[in-house]
Amino acid sequence: MIEAKDINFAYRRGVPVLKDIECTIKDGEFVALLGHNGSGKTTLSRLFMALDHPRSGQILIDGKDIVNLEPADLADKIGYVFQNPDLQILADTVFDEVAYGPRAKKLTEANVKTQVEAALAAMGLSSLAGGYPRVLSFGQKRRLGVAAALALNPRTLILDEITNGQDAAEQTRMMEYLKAINEERGVTIILITHDMGIVRRYAKRTLVLTDGELVFDGTPQDLFEGGEHLEAWGLRRPVVSALGANFGVSAATVDELCAHLVKGDECDEDD
Amino acid sequence: MENVISFKNFYFAYSKSGLVLKDINLNIKKGSFTVVIGPSGAGKTTLCKAITAIVPFYMGGSYAGEVQVLGESTKGKRVSDLALKVGLMLEDYESQLVSLTAGEEVAFSLQNHGFPPEETQERVQKALAEVGLPGRESYQLDELSGGQRQRLLLATIMAVHPEIIVLDEPVSAMDPEGAEELYALLAKIHQDFGTTIIVVEHRVEFVLPYMTDIIAVKEGQIVAAGTCEDVVEKIYTEPGLQVLLPELWQVKCSLQARYGEHLSLWRKLSEAADELRVKGFKGGEEA
Repeated sequence: MIEAKDINFAYRRGVPVLKDIECTIKDGEFVALLGHNGSGKTTLSRLFMALDHPRSGQILIDGKDIVNLEPADLADKIGYVFQNPDLQILADTVFDEVAYGPRAKKLTEANVKTQVEAALAAMGLSSLAGGYPRVLSFGQKRRLGVAAALALNPRTLILDEITNGQDAAEQTRMMEYLKAINEERGVTIILITHDMGIVRRYAKRTLVLTDGELVFDGTPQDLFEGGEHLEAWGLRRPVVSALGANFGVSAATVDELCAHLVKGDECDEDD
Repeated sequence: MENVISFKNFYFAYSKSGLVLKDINLNIKKGSFTVVIGPSGAGKTTLCKAITAIVPFYMGGSYAGEVQVLGESTKGKRVSDLALKVGLMLEDYESQLVSLTAGEEVAFSLQNHGFPPEETQERVQKALAEVGLPGRESYQLDELSGGQRQRLLLATIMAVHPEIIVLDEPVSAMDPEGAEELYALLAKIHQDFGTTIIVVEHRVEFVLPYMTDIIAVKEGQIVAAGTCEDVVEKIYTEPGLQVLLPELWQVKCSLQARYGEHLSLWRKLSEAADELRVKGFKGGEEA
Protein backbone atom coordinates (compact mmCIF):
# COMPACT_ATOMS: atom_id res chain seq x y z
CA MET A 1 0.00 0.00 0.00
CA ILE A 2 1.22 3.48 -0.92
CA GLU A 3 -0.06 6.49 0.99
CA ALA A 4 0.62 10.12 0.12
CA LYS A 5 -0.08 12.37 3.09
CA ASP A 6 -0.47 16.05 2.31
CA ILE A 7 2.44 16.12 -0.13
CA ASN A 8 4.00 19.34 -1.35
CA PHE A 9 6.93 19.39 -3.71
CA ALA A 10 9.01 21.86 -5.70
CA TYR A 11 12.21 21.52 -7.70
CA ARG A 12 15.09 23.89 -7.01
CA ARG A 13 13.50 26.93 -8.71
CA GLY A 14 10.83 26.78 -6.04
CA VAL A 15 7.78 26.66 -8.33
CA PRO A 16 5.28 24.31 -6.65
CA VAL A 17 4.96 21.11 -8.68
CA LEU A 18 2.72 19.14 -6.30
CA LYS A 19 0.22 20.80 -3.97
CA ASP A 20 -1.39 19.11 -0.95
CA ILE A 21 -1.65 15.68 -2.56
CA GLU A 22 -3.58 13.18 -0.47
CA CYS A 23 -4.22 9.67 -1.82
CA THR A 24 -3.92 5.98 -1.03
CA ILE A 25 -3.19 3.22 -3.50
CA LYS A 26 -4.06 -0.20 -2.10
CA ASP A 27 -2.45 -3.51 -2.98
CA GLY A 28 -3.78 -5.04 -6.19
CA GLU A 29 -5.16 -1.84 -7.70
CA PHE A 30 -4.79 -0.89 -11.38
CA VAL A 31 -4.42 2.87 -11.37
CA ALA A 32 -3.88 5.29 -14.25
CA LEU A 33 -2.15 8.54 -13.36
CA LEU A 34 -3.27 11.18 -15.85
CA GLY A 35 -2.79 14.85 -16.63
CA HIS A 36 -1.28 17.21 -19.21
CA ASN A 37 2.49 17.43 -19.81
CA GLY A 38 3.99 19.13 -16.77
CA SER A 39 1.04 18.38 -14.47
CA GLY A 40 3.21 16.53 -11.93
CA LYS A 41 2.50 12.86 -12.82
CA THR A 42 6.09 11.77 -13.17
CA THR A 43 7.15 13.82 -10.13
CA LEU A 44 4.53 12.16 -7.93
CA SER A 45 5.57 8.71 -9.12
CA ARG A 46 9.22 9.55 -8.39
CA LEU A 47 8.28 10.34 -4.79
CA PHE A 48 6.72 6.85 -4.51
CA MET A 49 10.14 5.45 -5.41
CA ALA A 50 12.12 7.85 -3.16
CA LEU A 51 13.88 9.28 -6.22
CA ASP A 52 12.89 12.66 -4.78
CA HIS A 53 11.51 13.62 -1.40
CA PRO A 54 8.56 15.89 -0.63
CA ARG A 55 9.20 19.38 0.78
CA SER A 56 6.43 18.68 3.25
CA GLY A 57 4.14 15.73 3.94
CA GLN A 58 4.90 12.06 4.04
CA ILE A 59 4.95 9.01 1.77
CA LEU A 60 4.14 5.74 3.54
CA ILE A 61 4.88 2.36 1.99
CA ASP A 62 2.99 -0.43 3.79
CA GLY A 63 2.60 1.98 6.69
CA LYS A 64 6.29 2.86 6.97
CA ASP A 65 7.72 6.28 6.17
CA ILE A 66 9.60 5.92 2.89
CA VAL A 67 12.62 7.82 4.28
CA ASN A 68 13.20 4.94 6.73
CA LEU A 69 13.24 2.26 4.05
CA GLU A 70 16.50 0.86 2.69
CA PRO A 71 16.78 1.27 -1.11
CA ALA A 72 17.02 -2.51 -1.47
CA ASP A 73 13.80 -3.05 0.52
CA LEU A 74 12.04 -0.45 -1.57
CA ALA A 75 13.27 -2.10 -4.78
CA ASP A 76 11.74 -5.38 -3.60
CA LYS A 77 8.38 -3.71 -3.21
CA ILE A 78 8.27 -1.33 -6.17
CA GLY A 79 9.57 -1.63 -9.72
CA TYR A 80 9.90 1.62 -11.67
CA VAL A 81 10.16 1.99 -15.43
CA PHE A 82 11.41 5.37 -16.60
CA GLN A 83 9.86 7.36 -19.40
CA ASN A 84 13.24 7.64 -21.11
CA PRO A 85 14.51 4.06 -21.47
CA ASP A 86 18.09 5.18 -22.10
CA LEU A 87 18.33 6.34 -18.48
CA GLN A 88 18.23 2.82 -17.12
CA ILE A 89 20.32 0.81 -19.54
CA LEU A 90 23.50 -0.46 -17.87
CA ALA A 91 24.61 -3.72 -19.43
CA ASP A 92 26.07 -4.92 -22.72
CA THR A 93 23.47 -7.51 -23.64
CA VAL A 94 19.71 -7.57 -23.35
CA PHE A 95 19.94 -10.67 -21.14
CA ASP A 96 22.49 -9.09 -18.76
CA GLU A 97 20.44 -5.92 -18.61
CA VAL A 98 17.42 -7.81 -17.31
CA ALA A 99 19.64 -10.02 -15.11
CA TYR A 100 21.22 -7.02 -13.39
CA GLY A 101 18.60 -6.74 -10.64
CA PRO A 102 18.22 -10.46 -9.89
CA ARG A 103 22.03 -10.81 -9.76
CA ALA A 104 22.29 -7.84 -7.41
CA LYS A 105 19.86 -9.70 -5.16
CA LYS A 106 22.36 -12.60 -5.17
CA LEU A 107 19.95 -15.10 -6.70
CA THR A 108 21.56 -18.29 -8.00
CA GLU A 109 22.43 -18.11 -11.69
CA ALA A 110 19.81 -20.80 -12.39
CA ASN A 111 17.11 -18.68 -10.78
CA VAL A 112 18.37 -15.58 -12.55
CA LYS A 113 18.09 -17.42 -15.85
CA THR A 114 14.52 -18.54 -15.16
CA GLN A 115 13.34 -15.08 -14.13
CA VAL A 116 15.10 -13.27 -16.95
CA GLU A 117 13.81 -15.65 -19.58
CA ALA A 118 10.25 -15.32 -18.29
CA ALA A 119 10.49 -11.51 -18.28
CA LEU A 120 11.96 -11.39 -21.79
CA ALA A 121 9.28 -13.73 -23.09
CA ALA A 122 6.54 -11.62 -21.50
CA MET A 123 7.82 -8.55 -23.34
CA GLY A 124 8.47 -10.35 -26.64
CA LEU A 125 12.23 -9.88 -26.44
CA SER A 126 13.44 -13.50 -26.22
CA SER A 127 14.94 -13.49 -29.71
CA LEU A 128 17.01 -10.40 -28.84
CA ALA A 129 18.52 -11.79 -25.59
CA GLY A 130 22.08 -11.73 -26.95
CA GLY A 131 21.74 -8.31 -28.60
CA TYR A 132 23.30 -4.98 -27.59
CA PRO A 133 20.63 -2.94 -25.77
CA ARG A 134 21.61 0.49 -27.10
CA VAL A 135 20.90 -0.42 -30.73
CA LEU A 136 17.35 -1.57 -30.03
CA SER A 137 14.49 0.52 -31.39
CA PHE A 138 12.86 3.02 -29.06
CA GLY A 139 9.86 0.75 -28.53
CA GLN A 140 12.05 -2.28 -27.86
CA LYS A 141 14.08 -0.32 -25.29
CA ARG A 142 10.88 0.58 -23.49
CA ARG A 143 9.89 -3.09 -23.35
CA LEU A 144 13.39 -3.90 -22.12
CA GLY A 145 12.83 -1.49 -19.22
CA VAL A 146 9.59 -3.25 -18.34
CA ALA A 147 11.26 -6.67 -18.56
CA ALA A 148 14.03 -5.52 -16.19
CA ALA A 149 11.41 -4.43 -13.66
CA LEU A 150 9.39 -7.65 -14.08
CA ALA A 151 12.43 -9.85 -13.46
CA LEU A 152 12.49 -8.67 -9.84
CA ASN A 153 8.88 -9.75 -9.25
CA PRO A 154 7.94 -6.50 -7.51
CA ARG A 155 4.54 -6.20 -5.81
CA THR A 156 3.98 -2.79 -7.37
CA LEU A 157 4.96 -1.61 -10.84
CA ILE A 158 5.13 2.06 -11.76
CA LEU A 159 5.23 2.43 -15.53
CA ASP A 160 5.86 5.86 -17.08
CA GLU A 161 4.63 6.10 -20.69
CA ILE A 162 5.62 2.57 -21.59
CA THR A 163 3.23 2.25 -24.52
CA ASN A 164 4.79 5.15 -26.47
CA GLY A 165 6.36 4.04 -29.71
CA GLN A 166 4.72 0.61 -29.55
CA ASP A 167 2.41 -0.42 -32.35
CA ALA A 168 -1.14 -1.44 -31.56
CA ALA A 169 -0.39 -5.17 -31.42
CA GLU A 170 2.55 -4.74 -29.03
CA GLN A 171 0.58 -2.32 -26.87
CA THR A 172 -2.20 -4.86 -26.55
CA ARG A 173 0.21 -7.65 -25.68
CA MET A 174 1.98 -5.58 -23.02
CA MET A 175 -1.27 -4.39 -21.51
CA GLU A 176 -2.83 -7.87 -21.50
CA TYR A 177 0.25 -9.15 -19.66
CA LEU A 178 0.02 -6.39 -17.05
CA LYS A 179 -3.69 -7.09 -16.69
CA ALA A 180 -2.95 -10.78 -16.10
CA ILE A 181 -0.30 -10.19 -13.40
CA ASN A 182 -2.61 -7.66 -11.78
CA GLU A 183 -5.57 -10.05 -11.70
CA GLU A 184 -3.76 -13.34 -11.08
CA ARG A 185 -0.89 -12.31 -8.83
CA GLY A 186 -2.35 -9.13 -7.36
CA VAL A 187 0.53 -6.96 -8.59
CA THR A 188 -0.35 -3.28 -8.15
CA ILE A 189 -0.05 -1.35 -11.41
CA ILE A 190 0.42 2.41 -11.57
CA LEU A 191 0.36 3.48 -15.20
CA ILE A 192 1.26 6.95 -16.41
CA THR A 193 -0.08 7.44 -19.91
CA HIS A 194 -1.58 9.85 -22.44
CA ASP A 195 -3.46 7.09 -24.23
CA MET A 196 -7.07 7.42 -23.14
CA GLY A 197 -8.12 4.28 -25.01
CA ILE A 198 -5.76 2.20 -22.85
CA VAL A 199 -7.04 3.89 -19.70
CA ARG A 200 -10.63 3.09 -20.64
CA ARG A 201 -9.81 -0.54 -21.44
CA TYR A 202 -7.49 -1.45 -18.57
CA ALA A 203 -7.50 0.92 -15.61
CA LYS A 204 -9.87 0.39 -12.69
CA ARG A 205 -9.19 3.77 -11.15
CA THR A 206 -7.95 7.08 -12.50
CA LEU A 207 -6.14 9.89 -10.71
CA VAL A 208 -5.98 13.19 -12.59
CA LEU A 209 -3.40 15.87 -11.82
CA THR A 210 -3.67 19.43 -13.09
CA ASP A 211 -0.94 21.94 -12.27
CA GLY A 212 0.14 19.81 -9.32
CA GLU A 213 -3.29 19.35 -7.80
CA LEU A 214 -5.23 16.11 -7.59
CA VAL A 215 -8.51 17.07 -9.26
CA PHE A 216 -10.17 13.70 -9.90
CA ASP A 217 -10.16 10.27 -8.28
CA GLY A 218 -12.62 7.75 -9.69
CA THR A 219 -13.34 5.11 -12.32
CA PRO A 220 -12.49 5.58 -16.01
CA GLN A 221 -16.22 5.38 -16.85
CA ASP A 222 -17.02 8.24 -14.51
CA LEU A 223 -14.08 10.22 -15.82
CA PHE A 224 -14.93 9.85 -19.50
CA GLU A 225 -18.70 9.77 -19.30
CA GLY A 226 -19.22 12.44 -16.69
CA GLY A 227 -16.34 14.82 -17.06
CA GLU A 228 -17.15 18.23 -18.42
CA HIS A 229 -13.71 19.25 -17.14
CA LEU A 230 -11.86 16.73 -19.32
CA GLU A 231 -10.67 19.26 -21.91
CA ALA A 232 -9.54 21.74 -19.26
CA TRP A 233 -7.48 18.96 -17.69
CA GLY A 234 -5.78 18.37 -21.06
CA LEU A 235 -7.50 15.00 -21.45
CA ARG A 236 -9.74 13.72 -24.23
CA ARG A 237 -12.47 11.14 -24.29
CA PRO A 238 -11.40 7.98 -26.09
CA VAL A 239 -12.96 8.08 -29.59
CA VAL A 240 -14.93 4.88 -29.08
CA SER A 241 -16.45 6.04 -25.76
CA ALA A 242 -17.31 9.43 -27.21
CA LEU A 243 -19.01 7.99 -30.31
CA GLY A 244 -20.82 5.40 -28.18
CA ALA A 245 -22.11 8.12 -25.86
CA ASN A 246 -24.04 9.60 -28.80
CA PHE A 247 -26.08 6.39 -28.92
CA GLY A 248 -26.25 5.61 -25.22
CA VAL A 249 -23.66 2.84 -25.62
CA SER A 250 -20.87 2.42 -23.06
CA ALA A 251 -18.00 0.83 -25.00
CA ALA A 252 -14.25 0.47 -24.49
CA THR A 253 -13.31 -1.14 -27.82
CA VAL A 254 -14.30 -0.88 -31.49
CA ASP A 255 -15.78 -4.39 -31.32
CA GLU A 256 -17.89 -3.60 -28.27
CA LEU A 257 -19.19 -0.43 -29.90
CA CYS A 258 -20.03 -2.11 -33.20
CA ALA A 259 -21.79 -4.98 -31.42
CA HIS A 260 -24.11 -2.49 -29.74
CA LEU A 261 -24.82 -0.23 -32.71
CA VAL A 262 -27.78 -1.66 -34.57
CA LYS A 263 -29.73 -0.45 -37.56
CA GLY A 264 -32.96 1.03 -36.29
CA ASP A 265 -35.35 -0.50 -38.83
CA GLU A 266 -34.26 -4.01 -37.82
CA CYS A 267 -35.43 -3.31 -34.28
CA ASP A 268 -38.55 -1.50 -35.45
CA GLU A 269 -39.75 -4.59 -37.30
CA ASP A 270 -40.07 -6.33 -33.96
CA ASP A 271 -42.19 -3.55 -32.48
CA MET B 1 -0.18 14.91 -60.16
CA GLU B 2 3.52 15.55 -59.83
CA ASN B 3 5.52 13.14 -57.66
CA VAL B 4 8.11 14.56 -55.26
CA ILE B 5 9.44 11.17 -54.23
CA SER B 6 9.70 7.96 -56.23
CA PHE B 7 11.09 4.63 -55.11
CA LYS B 8 12.01 2.27 -57.94
CA ASN B 9 12.66 -1.39 -57.10
CA PHE B 10 14.42 -0.24 -53.94
CA TYR B 11 15.95 -2.83 -51.61
CA PHE B 12 17.95 -2.12 -48.47
CA ALA B 13 19.74 -4.05 -45.72
CA TYR B 14 21.73 -2.61 -42.80
CA SER B 15 25.24 -4.05 -42.49
CA LYS B 16 24.22 -6.77 -40.03
CA SER B 17 20.53 -7.21 -40.82
CA GLY B 18 18.46 -9.07 -43.35
CA LEU B 19 16.51 -7.08 -45.94
CA VAL B 20 14.70 -4.22 -44.19
CA LEU B 21 13.05 -2.88 -47.34
CA LYS B 22 12.13 -5.20 -50.20
CA ASP B 23 11.31 -4.14 -53.74
CA ILE B 24 9.77 -0.82 -52.83
CA ASN B 25 7.92 0.88 -55.67
CA LEU B 26 6.22 3.99 -54.44
CA ASN B 27 5.28 7.52 -55.47
CA ILE B 28 4.52 10.34 -53.07
CA LYS B 29 2.58 13.22 -54.57
CA LYS B 30 3.57 16.86 -54.30
CA GLY B 31 1.52 18.66 -51.67
CA SER B 32 0.17 15.47 -50.09
CA PHE B 33 -0.11 14.90 -46.33
CA THR B 34 1.00 11.28 -46.28
CA VAL B 35 0.86 9.05 -43.22
CA VAL B 36 3.01 5.93 -43.00
CA ILE B 37 1.61 3.14 -40.85
CA GLY B 38 2.83 -0.36 -40.09
CA PRO B 39 3.78 -2.63 -37.18
CA SER B 40 7.05 -1.91 -35.32
CA GLY B 41 10.02 -3.19 -37.23
CA ALA B 42 8.18 -3.02 -40.56
CA GLY B 43 10.72 -0.60 -42.03
CA LYS B 44 8.86 2.72 -41.61
CA THR B 45 11.80 4.63 -40.11
CA THR B 46 14.18 3.19 -42.70
CA LEU B 47 11.80 4.38 -45.41
CA CYS B 48 11.99 7.93 -43.98
CA LYS B 49 15.76 7.74 -43.83
CA ALA B 50 15.87 6.64 -47.47
CA ILE B 51 13.93 9.77 -48.44
CA THR B 52 16.53 11.97 -46.74
CA ALA B 53 19.53 9.97 -48.04
CA ILE B 54 20.58 9.02 -44.49
CA VAL B 55 20.02 5.53 -45.82
CA PRO B 56 22.21 4.28 -47.31
CA PHE B 57 24.95 6.93 -47.39
CA TYR B 58 25.25 7.56 -43.69
CA MET B 59 24.11 4.23 -42.23
CA GLY B 60 26.07 1.98 -44.59
CA GLY B 61 24.57 -1.35 -45.55
CA SER B 62 23.69 -2.46 -49.06
CA TYR B 63 20.98 -1.47 -51.47
CA ALA B 64 19.58 -1.94 -54.93
CA GLY B 65 17.25 0.17 -57.04
CA GLU B 66 16.92 3.89 -56.47
CA VAL B 67 15.08 6.68 -54.74
CA GLN B 68 14.33 9.94 -56.53
CA VAL B 69 13.69 13.10 -54.56
CA LEU B 70 12.32 16.04 -56.57
CA GLY B 71 13.32 14.30 -59.77
CA GLU B 72 16.91 13.56 -58.79
CA SER B 73 18.35 10.25 -57.68
CA THR B 74 19.74 10.17 -54.13
CA LYS B 75 22.55 8.00 -55.50
CA GLY B 76 25.89 9.54 -54.53
CA LYS B 77 24.19 12.41 -52.66
CA ARG B 78 25.19 13.40 -49.15
CA VAL B 79 22.62 14.19 -46.49
CA SER B 80 23.61 17.87 -46.66
CA ASP B 81 22.89 17.99 -50.41
CA LEU B 82 19.25 17.24 -49.68
CA ALA B 83 18.89 19.14 -46.41
CA LEU B 84 17.64 22.31 -48.11
CA LYS B 85 14.86 20.37 -49.81
CA VAL B 86 13.91 17.75 -47.25
CA GLY B 87 13.59 18.40 -43.51
CA LEU B 88 13.61 15.48 -41.07
CA MET B 89 12.43 15.20 -37.48
CA LEU B 90 13.47 11.95 -35.83
CA GLU B 91 11.49 10.17 -33.12
CA ASP B 92 14.39 10.82 -30.79
CA TYR B 93 14.29 14.53 -31.66
CA GLU B 94 16.41 15.63 -28.68
CA SER B 95 19.40 14.07 -30.40
CA GLN B 96 19.03 16.58 -33.24
CA LEU B 97 19.41 19.67 -31.02
CA VAL B 98 23.00 20.89 -30.79
CA SER B 99 23.10 24.52 -29.61
CA LEU B 100 22.85 26.51 -26.40
CA THR B 101 20.05 28.90 -27.32
CA ALA B 102 16.93 28.69 -29.47
CA GLY B 103 18.20 31.37 -31.87
CA GLU B 104 21.55 29.61 -32.37
CA GLU B 105 19.76 26.34 -32.94
CA VAL B 106 17.67 27.72 -35.81
CA ALA B 107 20.63 29.66 -37.24
CA PHE B 108 22.92 26.61 -37.16
CA SER B 109 21.79 24.97 -40.39
CA LEU B 110 21.37 28.31 -42.18
CA GLN B 111 24.96 29.26 -41.35
CA ASN B 112 26.20 25.86 -42.46
CA HIS B 113 24.51 26.41 -45.80
CA GLY B 114 26.17 29.82 -46.16
CA PHE B 115 23.18 32.16 -45.78
CA PRO B 116 24.30 35.78 -45.15
CA PRO B 117 23.94 37.03 -41.54
CA GLU B 118 21.02 39.47 -42.18
CA GLU B 119 18.99 36.85 -43.99
CA THR B 120 19.82 34.28 -41.32
CA GLN B 121 18.53 36.59 -38.62
CA GLU B 122 15.37 37.32 -40.57
CA ARG B 123 14.66 33.64 -41.20
CA VAL B 124 15.33 32.70 -37.57
CA GLN B 125 12.86 35.32 -36.39
CA LYS B 126 10.21 34.23 -38.86
CA ALA B 127 10.62 30.50 -38.25
CA LEU B 128 10.36 30.89 -34.47
CA ALA B 129 7.19 32.92 -34.91
CA GLU B 130 5.71 30.32 -37.26
CA VAL B 131 6.04 27.55 -34.68
CA GLY B 132 4.62 29.65 -31.86
CA LEU B 133 7.91 30.60 -30.20
CA PRO B 134 8.18 34.27 -31.19
CA GLY B 135 10.98 36.26 -29.58
CA ARG B 136 12.54 33.25 -27.85
CA GLU B 137 15.92 33.63 -29.62
CA SER B 138 17.85 34.05 -26.38
CA TYR B 139 16.14 31.23 -24.46
CA GLN B 140 18.45 28.45 -23.35
CA LEU B 141 17.31 25.03 -24.54
CA ASP B 142 16.74 23.76 -21.00
CA GLU B 143 14.35 26.63 -20.35
CA LEU B 144 12.02 25.17 -22.96
CA SER B 145 9.67 22.28 -22.25
CA GLY B 146 9.87 19.05 -24.25
CA GLY B 147 7.02 20.14 -26.51
CA GLN B 148 8.64 23.53 -27.05
CA ARG B 149 11.98 21.93 -27.92
CA GLN B 150 10.15 19.84 -30.47
CA ARG B 151 8.59 22.95 -32.00
CA LEU B 152 12.05 24.54 -31.98
CA LEU B 153 13.33 21.65 -34.07
CA LEU B 154 10.43 22.22 -36.45
CA ALA B 155 11.55 25.88 -36.68
CA THR B 156 15.07 24.79 -37.65
CA ILE B 157 13.48 22.73 -40.42
CA MET B 158 11.10 25.52 -41.51
CA ALA B 159 13.89 28.09 -41.63
CA VAL B 160 15.45 26.55 -44.74
CA HIS B 161 12.03 26.43 -46.50
CA PRO B 162 12.13 22.75 -47.45
CA GLU B 163 9.68 21.39 -50.01
CA ILE B 164 9.24 18.18 -48.04
CA ILE B 165 9.09 17.61 -44.28
CA VAL B 166 9.45 14.07 -42.92
CA LEU B 167 8.54 13.33 -39.28
CA ASP B 168 8.98 10.07 -37.39
CA GLU B 169 6.38 9.73 -34.61
CA PRO B 170 6.42 13.40 -33.65
CA VAL B 171 3.78 13.17 -30.91
CA SER B 172 4.70 9.90 -29.21
CA ALA B 173 5.53 11.60 -25.89
CA MET B 174 2.92 14.38 -26.03
CA ASP B 175 -0.32 14.80 -24.16
CA PRO B 176 -3.46 14.97 -26.32
CA GLU B 177 -3.51 18.76 -26.30
CA GLY B 178 0.15 19.00 -27.37
CA ALA B 179 -0.42 16.41 -30.09
CA GLU B 180 -3.42 18.31 -31.46
CA GLU B 181 -1.41 21.55 -31.44
CA LEU B 182 1.55 20.07 -33.28
CA TYR B 183 -0.65 18.60 -36.00
CA ALA B 184 -2.65 21.82 -36.34
CA LEU B 185 0.69 23.59 -36.88
CA LEU B 186 1.80 21.04 -39.48
CA ALA B 187 -1.57 21.34 -41.23
CA LYS B 188 -1.10 25.12 -41.38
CA ILE B 189 2.40 24.72 -42.85
CA HIS B 190 0.98 22.21 -45.32
CA GLN B 191 -1.74 24.60 -46.37
CA ASP B 192 0.16 27.91 -46.34
CA PHE B 193 3.32 26.74 -48.10
CA GLY B 194 2.12 23.68 -50.02
CA THR B 195 4.82 21.67 -48.24
CA THR B 196 4.61 17.92 -48.73
CA ILE B 197 4.31 16.32 -45.30
CA ILE B 198 5.27 12.69 -44.68
CA VAL B 199 4.73 11.38 -41.18
CA VAL B 200 5.16 8.01 -39.48
CA GLU B 201 2.46 7.77 -36.84
CA HIS B 202 1.00 5.18 -34.45
CA ARG B 203 -1.42 7.65 -32.83
CA VAL B 204 -3.32 8.17 -36.05
CA GLU B 205 -6.36 9.78 -34.44
CA PHE B 206 -4.45 13.07 -34.22
CA VAL B 207 -3.62 13.19 -37.92
CA LEU B 208 -7.03 11.95 -39.06
CA PRO B 209 -8.44 15.41 -39.93
CA TYR B 210 -5.51 16.25 -42.21
CA MET B 211 -4.16 13.12 -43.90
CA THR B 212 -4.66 12.83 -47.66
CA ASP B 213 -2.71 9.64 -48.37
CA ILE B 214 -1.68 6.48 -46.54
CA ILE B 215 1.24 4.13 -47.01
CA ALA B 216 0.92 0.81 -45.18
CA VAL B 217 4.18 -1.08 -44.65
CA LYS B 218 4.55 -4.63 -43.40
CA GLU B 219 7.70 -6.76 -43.19
CA GLY B 220 9.64 -4.38 -45.40
CA GLN B 221 7.09 -4.27 -48.17
CA ILE B 222 4.37 -1.85 -49.24
CA VAL B 223 0.95 -3.39 -48.65
CA ALA B 224 -1.08 -0.44 -49.84
CA ALA B 225 -0.37 3.14 -50.89
CA GLY B 226 -2.69 5.83 -52.20
CA THR B 227 -5.37 8.27 -51.17
CA CYS B 228 -7.24 7.41 -47.97
CA GLU B 229 -10.43 6.86 -49.99
CA ASP B 230 -8.69 4.30 -52.21
CA VAL B 231 -6.80 2.22 -49.66
CA VAL B 232 -8.57 2.22 -46.27
CA GLU B 233 -10.78 -0.76 -47.03
CA LYS B 234 -7.88 -2.80 -48.36
CA ILE B 235 -5.81 -2.03 -45.25
CA TYR B 236 -8.75 -3.04 -43.06
CA THR B 237 -8.69 -6.54 -44.54
CA GLU B 238 -4.94 -7.03 -43.89
CA PRO B 239 -4.19 -9.08 -40.78
CA GLY B 240 -2.23 -7.00 -38.27
CA LEU B 241 -2.86 -3.70 -40.07
CA GLN B 242 -6.55 -3.25 -39.26
CA VAL B 243 -5.77 -2.07 -35.72
CA LEU B 244 -3.37 0.58 -37.03
CA LEU B 245 -6.18 2.51 -38.74
CA PRO B 246 -7.92 5.35 -36.88
CA GLU B 247 -10.63 3.87 -34.64
CA LEU B 248 -13.33 5.85 -36.44
CA TRP B 249 -12.39 4.13 -39.68
CA GLN B 250 -12.30 0.74 -37.96
CA VAL B 251 -15.88 1.41 -36.84
CA LYS B 252 -16.83 2.44 -40.39
CA CYS B 253 -15.32 -0.69 -41.95
CA SER B 254 -16.74 -2.99 -39.29
CA LEU B 255 -20.28 -1.62 -39.64
CA GLN B 256 -20.03 -1.72 -43.43
CA ALA B 257 -19.04 -5.37 -43.27
CA ARG B 258 -21.88 -6.12 -40.87
CA TYR B 259 -24.68 -4.25 -42.63
CA GLY B 260 -23.41 -4.01 -46.22
CA GLU B 261 -24.14 -0.28 -46.28
CA HIS B 262 -21.53 2.19 -47.50
CA LEU B 263 -20.45 4.81 -44.95
CA SER B 264 -18.37 7.95 -45.53
CA LEU B 265 -14.72 8.32 -44.57
CA TRP B 266 -15.32 10.36 -41.44
CA ARG B 267 -12.74 12.94 -40.42
CA LYS B 268 -14.45 14.00 -37.22
CA LEU B 269 -16.44 12.27 -34.54
CA SER B 270 -19.44 14.53 -35.16
CA GLU B 271 -19.53 13.47 -38.84
CA ALA B 272 -19.67 9.82 -37.77
CA ALA B 273 -22.39 10.42 -35.19
CA ASP B 274 -24.49 12.44 -37.69
CA GLU B 275 -24.28 9.93 -40.52
CA LEU B 276 -24.95 6.93 -38.28
CA ARG B 277 -27.98 8.68 -36.84
CA VAL B 278 -29.32 9.63 -40.29
CA LYS B 279 -28.84 6.04 -41.48
CA GLY B 280 -30.92 4.76 -38.57
CA PHE B 281 -28.27 3.32 -36.27
CA LYS B 282 -29.03 3.27 -32.59
CA GLY B 283 -27.80 1.71 -29.38
CA GLY B 284 -29.07 -1.77 -28.59
CA GLU B 285 -28.18 -5.43 -28.33
CA GLU B 286 -26.66 -7.32 -31.21
CA ALA B 287 -29.27 -8.82 -33.51
